Amino acid sequence: MGDTTTTSDDEAPSGATAASTARAPFAPWDRRDLPGMFSVAETARRVGNYKWTEMKLFEALGGWIATVPELDIKMRLGAHCYHHAWHADLWNQRLPELREMKPERLTVPANDAIVRFIAAMTEPEAPELTIEKLVGVYRVLIPRFISAYTYHRNNTSEITDAPTIRSINFILQDEFDDWRDGEMMLQSLITTPEDVQRAASHQAKLETIMVEAGGITGPGSIGGSSSDGF
Amino acid sequence: MRQFFPVEDLARDERFVQTNMAERLADTRNPMEPASNRKSAKSRSAGNRLTPDRPDASDRARGLMHGIMVGEIQALEGAGRTAHDFEAGDGSGDTIPFELKLDMARQAWDEARHVEISAKLGDWMGTELGEFQENTVLFEAACSNDPVLRLAGVNRALEGLAIDVFTQMKEFGDLAGDPYLEFCEDWMLADEVTHVKMGSDWLRKVTEKDPDRRTKALEFQQVVDKLFSFGGARGDHEESSFKLARRFRELAGFTDDENDTINKLGVDAFNERSQAVKQAQDAASAFADA
Repeated sequence: MGDTTTTSDDEAPSGATAASTARAPFAPWDRRDLPGMFSVAETARRVGNYKWTEMKLFEALGGWIATVPELDIKMRLGAHCYHHAWHADLWNQRLPELREMKPERLTVPANDAIVRFIAAMTEPEAPELTIEKLVGVYRVLIPRFISAYTYHRNNTSEITDAPTIRSINFILQDEFDDWRDGEMMLQSLITTPEDVQRAASHQAKLETIMVEAGGITGPGSIGGSSSDGF
Repeated sequence: MRQFFPVEDLARDERFVQTNMAERLADTRNPMEPASNRKSAKSRSAGNRLTPDRPDASDRARGLMHGIMVGEIQALEGAGRTAHDFEAGDGSGDTIPFELKLDMARQAWDEARHVEISAKLGDWMGTELGEFQENTVLFEAACSNDPVLRLAGVNRALEGLAIDVFTQMKEFGDLAGDPYLEFCEDWMLADEVTHVKMGSDWLRKVTEKDPDRRTKALEFQQVVDKLFSFGGARGDHEESSFKLARRFRELAGFTDDENDTINKLGVDAFNERSQAVKQAQDAASAFADA
């Protein structure tokens, strides 16, 4: 260190006036807000439901790979299987941060109807049932994931729950990309009025169970079950 | 969807023709030629190894690439099934650790990319999908009800074989002046080392307190390794088509002893196959004389 003396408190060594470094804790463009709709316990409950459902989804996609004869779809299922496994891993890591030291304790379905939904979604196995397999994932379950994650991201505290928001943003990117892949695969497979009927009928069957479940985290998955104005 | 999925039900489109290991081993045509029969036993191009100066190099490379592609399809299916077939748990009974399920899902994605890579390489080499038969033995090894046997049979034995094959194909690409092939094989090789290491690590971890289960798994691995010696086509010996890629195997968790054992299996398999070929030739001669 050389000479540390200064001419005055307001003057920099060069002689220029020093600018104050005192700033507000939030920049003018930072509009993040503190309040959020979810407590730590409620967040952990939802995250546990997400993890359980993401696990069931990646298991189903992995199991179906051997059952679909269409080579391009086989490969997409392999890629998507990993995406959802990674989501499950992100939620598994988040649970202990939400005071749940045994993540498996909260890795549960929201209710019995979700269990029945997964059973119905994974029922098709025969090689000629690719449309039914894809409809369940890409026209029912993944749209439900997108809505539940979007609702969570938009209603949780932007400051206290920033780690959950960060994970949801990564996950939503996958969900949108996978949904688009799946929808395009379906559009390429659905080529006759009979195919349209098959897809619609299977979607209606699964959607009915999902409505009964109330969504991936049960009633309130996208609000509407409490005093949030719905 | 069933918990376990039999190899007979693997879904394929109409272009694919399948065979199994039993049928393949029963076929003694096109035996490997002993080095002593060749004009120059020391010349690599005169051996069973794939080199660009062989007259049949193009067809053999195309056949091998097609074999790699269908193998990758089965590896994709096998990894997906292991992610599906077992509940998350402590590794006992019908459960596997959650993290192992995640690794299997990751492997499924890797194998899907390998199918994409090998399909494009096959097209680049002028091969039609389904032009060669598909041997379903890889998926057979992925069908065991014990996940530890799957790790031993698929991740260690068969993915270990993939290390040897990709190393050779990478070398072939280099010698043939095909940077496209060499580039792709280099990337796939990196993934295979990861998969074998995954198998080595999980096998040790899951069987840490169950030495009998570990022994059984390693025995199963040897059975698969011997099957995939293709009658002695793999090993350090001169007649082998595929040399053991010892350095990469070491990175993936194989010990020197294990590599020596695989090499010996190859030599034994070669001797057995040579004997079977000789018996077939003697029988044919006797029939012709009669």
